[in-house]
Amino acid sequence: MTQSAAELSGSRANIALPEARWIDVDGIRTRYYDAGSGEPIVFIYGGNFGTSDSASSSHTWNLNLLPLSTRFRTIAFDKIGQGFTDNPKDDDYTMRAVVRHAADFVRAMKLPPVHLVGHSRGGYAAVRLTLEHHELVRSVSLVNSGTLSPGVGTNEVVLSRPPYPKFTAECVRWIYQNYSFDPDVVTDEWVNAVLEVLALPKYRESIAKVEGERLGAKLFLPALAREKRETLQWINEGRLQRPVQVFWGFDDRTATLERGVDLFRMFALHDRQAQLHVFNQSGHFPFREHPERFNALLGRFVESHAA
Amino acid sequence: MLTRRSIQANGVATAVLANAVSNAPLVFLNGSVPGVSPFCSGYHIWGACLERFASERSVLALDLPGTGGTGVPDDGLTVESMTRHVRASLEALGVERCHLVGHDLGGLIALALAAEAPALVRGVTAVSSLAAAPTGDSVENLTLAYPPVPKWSRQSQRWALERVSYSHHHIDDLLLDACVGADAGNAHRAACAAMSAGAHADVFIPSLLGAKGRFYEICRQGGMPIPVQVIWGTHDPLATLDQGLWLFKIVAARQRATQFHAINRAGNLPFREEPEAFHQVVSAFCDVVFPA
Repeated sequence: MTQSAAELSGSRANIALPEARWIDVDGIRTRYYDAGSGEPIVFIYGGNFGTSDSASSSHTWNLNLLPLSTRFRTIAFDKIGQGFTDNPKDDDYTMRAVVRHAADFVRAMKLPPVHLVGHSRGGYAAVRLTLEHHELVRSVSLVNSGTLSPGVGTNEVVLSRPPYPKFTAECVRWIYQNYSFDPDVVTDEWVNAVLEVLALPKYRESIAKVEGERLGAKLFLPALAREKRETLQWINEGRLQRPVQVFWGFDDRTATLERGVDLFRMFALHDRQAQLHVFNQSGHFPFREHPERFNALLGRFVESHAA
Repeated sequence: MLTRRSIQANGVATAVLANAVSNAPLVFLNGSVPGVSPFCSGYHIWGACLERFASERSVLALDLPGTGGTGVPDDGLTVESMTRHVRASLEALGVERCHLVGHDLGGLIALALAAEAPALVRGVTAVSSLAAAPTGDSVENLTLAYPPVPKWSRQSQRWALERVSYSHHHIDDLLLDACVGADAGNAHRAACAAMSAGAHADVFIPSLLGAKGRFYEICRQGGMPIPVQVIWGTHDPLATLDQGLWLFKIVAARQRATQFHAINRAGNLPFREEPEAFHQVVSAFCDVVFPA
């Protein structure tokens, strides 16, 4: 029991991120964090551009980046149109633009083949990036990626119509608490990192496009649906050709465990070493609800697939 | 470097494989029902994976009563007597706290001992533990039906090991020599005698069902007092992945630090078929819940 208490306090501790850095990625000014040395791990967080009730950024990985940097080079960047990174040119608010920017970022950083860690929508991006650019990737770790898993996502069931006004701390907290098992993991620090992005003029522009001009419904979702069909076909054909592990928070109501098991089974058909890890008392963010045990598993996996 | 020795515990000669002496080891408990299962288990079943763990930590592997080089206690072979014996062995070895890794029946014994002695057992890894998983109204599993005779011959044990595996590649002479050697040992002979004349059905099976019932009661009520990790092979002929997930869910109901891990292309002996993946997931869990 004392262990659980220690873990709880650990997961709530504020762990600083290193100083933010900036890089030009094909004309897109991109914010990223970079720590440590050794095998490169690149984290791709979840979520979308242009959402007004929440907004994710590379800050999501603050409980993982520095702790793992003692043994690896750990890198988290803001995806195109999200966090502090520029919005896409020509209103290209598509997943294809996200994947292209992520691949261009890895190239611009001049990294040897990286270990990708993709959460939620970032899990889709990680796999699609690998399928299109095998030479950039050494292994893939996926976390509660409902976007990638076949089957029905239940985000809208759990999270639609928050009972608080948009752009408020109450609304942001409500969203992440409903994603999580333990409401107390949603710290003020986490909420403030989200509010900071929500307040950026360039982020407001993306909301005007995605929600206001309905590019989310008209462009992003239909294109993702089309490309997801192709992505799943490619996985089923065995095209991924990189070691995969799937992490899943057991209590995630937006991406339930069955979807994680289905996803794992798709990879397991082709990858001998595919692994599935399920964390109890965790919602959508097991790397935030159980960072010590998540980091330990990720570290062991990366070591075993190191160059 | 692991070395073998024999100690007296609970009045029974007990075979132990260990590296450097420590009062806080990672302890391995083998599975299979002594005198009954069609291959003879013991600490040899863990194979080369023990050396991987021993290179990073203090490791101790015991032969369960009636298997390998450990005799049968005076109170016979039941889950309770075997659990008592494991506790007595750990105490005789001066173990103050440990993490137990148990295969199948060894997993149930590990969970039972942890529930009664959480200061001694700080965490459990239950591997392919059909003994602890729910089996309600399942259809008969034919995997090990009609073993070739004579039972426990080299040929018959090879057949049984192949039947419970995904692939036969891990079944080497080292394993078969140890299994055949265990069959010839006094412990196995004593176990056969202890399980004869209906004792398996009349005494052991009721004790197994009783131990499972107590374990489920603990999980329903106070909850397991220590972190638990459940590991399952995706291709276990004896147990579905769903049964493994159920074991996880049963513990997860009241123990925060519960994890489940599926190991691909492995049957009932994932630590032999995929030793690297097995070492990874057990080590990652212990790195946090039972640091060396």
